[in-house]
Amino acid sequence: MIARTLAAALVIPFAALFAEPSPAADDVSLLKDLTSVIALLGLPCGQVVSAKRQADNDHLATCSNGNRYRVFVNAEGRVVAQKR
Amino acid sequence: MKPAMRAVGIFLFALVAGCAELRKAPPSPIAQSEPQPSAPQVPEPQASEPQAAEPHVSEPQVLPPPVTTPPAAAAHAKAPPKVSVPSVAVQSQKNEKPVAVTKPLETPLDVAALQARLRDTKAIGVLTKLALKNQVDDLLKKFRAHYQSGQKTGVAALRQPYDMLVLKVLSLLQDTDPSLARTISASREAIWSILADREKFNSLT
Repeated sequence: MIARTLAAALVIPFAALFAEPSPAADDVSLLKDLTSVIALLGLPCGQVVSAKRQADNDHLATCSNGNRYRVFVNAEGRVVAQKR
Repeated sequence: MKPAMRAVGIFLFALVAGCAELRKAPPSPIAQSEPQPSAPQVPEPQASEPQAAEPHVSEPQVLPPPVTTPPAAAAHAKAPPKVSVPSVAVQSQKNEKPVAVTKPLETPLDVAALQARLRDTKAIGVLTKLALKNQVDDLLKKFRAHYQSGQKTGVAALRQPYDMLVLKVLSLLQDTDPSLARTISASREAIWSILADREKFNSLT
């Protein structure tokens, strides 16, 4: 009985850990995408370490150097990074 | 005491045996370096055949694939007396390189296919692709403006922004989609020849 409880206590947290790998993968690809965009636009950033989605194609990116940019697609279809 | 002495003896023996194993390791670097003498064997036929064929500069790059296979077979024949596994691994790497070099040369520039590959690649994110497209459009606008202005001077001034843009694309692709990066890199001059020619540019856009 104790063994079963112990096994359950070990298995459940591990299952919870590995249950949602895809959002993390999406986050990583989004961070890479934002990093590339900001670099492509010639803005100082380093790497994007976190991003907050504000709307479709509209993100608030925080860089490793502390800079924050709003990266979005404007009405003309251009990708813009505005420093915050 | 005796069992302790035995244990120490066994331990020392194991240590010596371990050192003996380590000394056996050097033959593998020798085996890896053995293909290096065979490396000159590969270029020899390559060098001889282009000289025999024609004095064209581009042909030596096209010829290697058919030429490299016989030396590989010859090397295989020589391999058995040596350590076979590392030599085969190195030879397979050698066989791959010439094939990769010849592919871009054999295929002519296909702008539409390149566009499709760039659009479909997962190496670049959606936002980055859009930002790249914006920059490509900006550059094309500059070319269009240059040709519409009626200037008779060349488009050499646009070569630097073009090169910068190609480098940006290559830097985005080189780690995650190296084959596409190689294709674009190989097509760089062909694309420029289209952009720099007014008639070709007008027919393309």
